[in-house]
Amino acid sequence: MSALLEIENLRVAFNTRHGEVTALDSVSLTVNAGETLGVVGESGCGKSITALSVMGLIPSPPGRIAGGAIRLAGEDLTRVSEARMRALRGAELAMIFQEPMTSLNPVFTVGDQIAEAIMLHQKVGHAQAFRDAVALLDRVGIPSPDRRARDYPHQLSGGMRQRVMIAMAVSCRPRVLIADEPTTALDVTVQAQIFDLLNEIQRDFGAAIILITHDMGAISEMADRVAVMYAGRVIEEADADDVLDHPQHPYTRGLISCIPALGKGDTELREIPGVVPPLHRLGAGCAFAERCAHRNGRCDSGKPLLVNHGHHPAACHAVQEGRI
Amino acid sequence: MSVLLDVQDLTVQFTLPRQGLFGPRPVLEAVRQVSFRLEQGRALGIVGESGSGKTTAAMATIRLVEAASGKVIFQGEDLLQLDDAAMRQRRRDVQLIFQDPYSSLNPRARVADIVREPMDLMEIGTPEERRARVTDLFRLVGLRPDQLSLFPHQFSGGQRQRISIARALTTNPKLLVCDEPVSALDVAIQAQILNLLARLKAELGLSYLFISHDLGVVRHVCDDVAVMYLGKIVEMAPREALFDTPQHPYTQALLSAAPSLARRKSRGYVRPVKISGDPPSPINPPKGCAFVERCPKAQDICRRVQPLLESRGQNRVACHFPG
Amino acid sequence: MTDAVAFKPESPAREAWRMFRRNIPAMIGVVVLSIIVLATLWGTFFFAGNPYEIVWAPHEAPGVAPEFLLGTDYLGRDIFAGLVTGGGPTLAVGAAAAAITMVIGISLGALAGFYGGWVDNLLMRITEFFQVLPTLLFAMVLVTLFSPTLTTIALAIGVVSWPQTARLTRAEVMKIKELEYVTAARAIGAKNRRIIWQVILPNAAPPLIVSATLTIGVAILFEAGLSFLGLGDPNTMSWGLMIGSNRAYILDAWWPVTFPGLAIFLTVFSVSLIGDGLNDAFNPKLRER
Ligand SMILES: Nc1ncnc2c1ncn2[C@@H]1O[C@H](COP(=O)(O)OP(=O)(O)OP(=O)(O)O)[C@@H](O)[C@H]1O
Ligand SMILES: Nc1ncnc2c1ncn2[C@@H]1O[C@H](COP(=O)(O)OP(=O)(O)O)[C@@H](O)[C@H]1O
Ligand code: SF4
Ligand code: SF4
Ligand SMILES: [Mg+2]
Ligand SMILES: [Mg+2]
Repeated sequence: MSALLEIENLRVAFNTRHGEVTALDSVSLTVNAGETLGVVGESGCGKSITALSVMGLIPSPPGRIAGGAIRLAGEDLTRVSEARMRALRGAELAMIFQEPMTSLNPVFTVGDQIAEAIMLHQKVGHAQAFRDAVALLDRVGIPSPDRRARDYPHQLSGGMRQRVMIAMAVSCRPRVLIADEPTTALDVTVQAQIFDLLNEIQRDFGAAIILITHDMGAISEMADRVAVMYAGRVIEEADADDVLDHPQHPYTRGLISCIPALGKGDTELREIPGVVPPLHRLGAGCAFAERCAHRNGRCDSGKPLLVNHGHHPAACHAVQEGRI
Repeated sequence: MSVLLDVQDLTVQFTLPRQGLFGPRPVLEAVRQVSFRLEQGRALGIVGESGSGKTTAAMATIRLVEAASGKVIFQGEDLLQLDDAAMRQRRRDVQLIFQDPYSSLNPRARVADIVREPMDLMEIGTPEERRARVTDLFRLVGLRPDQLSLFPHQFSGGQRQRISIARALTTNPKLLVCDEPVSALDVAIQAQILNLLARLKAELGLSYLFISHDLGVVRHVCDDVAVMYLGKIVEMAPREALFDTPQHPYTQALLSAAPSLARRKSRGYVRPVKISGDPPSPINPPKGCAFVERCPKAQDICRRVQPLLESRGQNRVACHFPG
Repeated sequence: MTDAVAFKPESPAREAWRMFRRNIPAMIGVVVLSIIVLATLWGTFFFAGNPYEIVWAPHEAPGVAPEFLLGTDYLGRDIFAGLVTGGGPTLAVGAAAAAITMVIGISLGALAGFYGGWVDNLLMRITEFFQVLPTLLFAMVLVTLFSPTLTTIALAIGVVSWPQTARLTRAEVMKIKELEYVTAARAIGAKNRRIIWQVILPNAAPPLIVSATLTIGVAILFEAGLSFLGLGDPNTMSWGLMIGSNRAYILDAWWPVTFPGLAIFLTVFSVSLIGDGLNDAFNPKLRER
């Protein structure tokens, strides 16, 4: 059986003042219904661009999908018309953004905004849609939902706004729900509430969730499978336990060991030196080479491919050669 | 160990704009009778939700926000009693690092000037000595001296945070207030900055007042931890005691909310302590315990009587039913 | 540290200039304005003719007499001579009025924005008072009360147009003073005066520079307006004066009014092209393109 959502060899390019740069290169990912895929990596590694590609929301120009396919239940989203994409967006595919403040329209009540989203995809009147909106607000755990539905976004706390976003996103029971760093702007206690809510919703609706985050702890709590991204490529992909307990790629190892863990103190953190290279400076070799302790001559001449070298797929020459 | 900083009953109030034309001006108590001590060479962490008053308390401590009442005894002298000129002199001993590496550096100044400015203002050393010190500081925080003439926007977030740290160290301060110094950074960069801060603390004998919402970071950096909720310290303890035997229900909730590699979805992890809702408004704080609406242990008395900080083992906790 | 990203040093001003250079309308503005300013300088310092002298028959059309290319006015004075000598006073009044506007507006706006509270309240009430005055009328009153010299005209224009600058400055200062680098300056013991002048205002400069540029254009128009109404300095040739004195005969001869009008239009237009270009160049969002 093929997966619900399949991204295959996706390439996304942007026109910049440095010429055309490749923001995503040979990205392949799959998600099944009822499963959570965690996508992790530092800023600028291509997580959001991956999400926006699936939603058909790459800003164009300057961006364009330069190759590959995105299949939702067999239908290639890179080839469908904009009208078809609009119909899919919100109904089959939904997305929650990082900043709940700016992703809601400040001049309409939250109830109206959710009702609007419902009416876009279902043949119901405003009164019914508004009743559904209130029920959804109740479902996402907003107290006194009928009163809150008449509030404007600025009257809600950040956590409540993110719940509203989730309510809107799940209003048409999408098959794929993408959450792009949904809790970065929120406090830990509220983050915990949102995570619990996403899990409940998945259990109820059986949606596939793509959770984008830079926090390995969040991955551990939420994800069934993990894809680690670096400089526009997936550099490791496997079940969450495999990645967390047996990280292969030096970058994944670094990401895991540089977290100050709750359980211990004092010992010096392992650090990954340097920063993610800008896209226009990516050369022929491994993009991680400048920060990597296992680099050798081969790393500078050829990009490692994402293949299984024993445990699970990782894109690294050293892993392939059995040096680490 | 000598006490470097002794803050007693610090209270900070903000008067908000009038509601309506003739309405009263509401008063927001952002920090309510906060007391803590910081010993020389140690780091005190302050954790809590956003809006709980961490920044305001720290800023009031070093007089960048005006306190309504209380004492800030720094090296035996109450900072809140000093006149402006004397306080400006004292500023060389208390410096700070901000959360946002983008807005904390003047975009129109070269980084060498940014790092040198405190010495210019306080007339420390000759121009050559100042230049030499800037170069030394640059090396100390892991930047290259050939980057001295660049502008802030030409650096990455982590590098900017290094520049902030260099600027803060220029005058050889004794106390460094770090307000979420790594929250805006990626984990990999965060580790670089945390290691740098740890090294500087050991090498220079600095004391930190370290604000963070990330418990893992606090655990890594701090010797003691204070937990704030709605303007008050609700629990304070040495690091191990706070993390291993949290006494306040809010501390427990924070610890159980913090994501950790040990908690796996695959192993059916379910959060043990859940709290719902948001903190109440600081404009009319509840009469009794501020946590009462969200507390799983709340009783009648919590609504009526404000719990005070009391010792319980190594912890000091403000709760009627700790443990 | 191995932070691999190496940058070429480029100051914010230089970066803005790089952006500005690529803006074609703005560069056209620069070229046109440069030609006007050069012609004016030449007219002021090297031109031998006298714009007041009656040199030919009145209302000679342009192109008829080869030595008076642009024709003559109702008294038979050379229009070309008027244009090149009148440009200096016109541009000077514009620049001086803009400078006065900026000095008053920036000082009051910065004080109001930085200190807030009663200082802000007081200064903003004053600003509002000046803002609700009908500007042209008020300037006319000022000019008639005092003698209509270039200085009084520049002052009058400055006095009526500063409130907008003050509001803009106040808004910018209020925004910037909340930023952390201002707190950082306080934390190292900088005094308020230093914070306002060396930290906040340089960062507020871009919109203020744009507004100063546009103010020059407005001031030139204002001066022309006053002269047109017969309130200009009758003893100093300026474009406005040329229009003002010839306006009665516009139906008999179009050129004595049109050429100075065109000069004013080109000046104001090129100045506003430059203003727009500066605005774009300072806007960091557009910069990456
Ligand atoms: N509009 C654009 N024009 C040019 N490049 C872009 C654009 N949007 C994104 N990019 C580039 O694509 C790469 C991936 O960006 P993306 O936003 O997906 O990163 P990310 O992993 O989501 O980072 P963050 O955690 O900061 O959101 C980055 O290097 C970015 O600079
Ligand atoms: N200048 C101010 N005017 C009014 N209220 C303020 C101001 N600064 C902070 N506050 C309020 O004080 C409380 C504590 O703020 P802060 O210390 O910044 O919180 P934290 O750092 O924990 O996020 C919040 O309720 C905040 O809204
Ligand atoms: S391919 Fe080479 S440089 Fe890249 S991660 Fe593996 S060992 Fe390091
Ligand atoms: S005092 Fe009562 S409400 Fe407050 S934290 Fe303790 S048990 Fe909970
Ligand atoms: Mg992103
Ligand atoms: Mg804060």
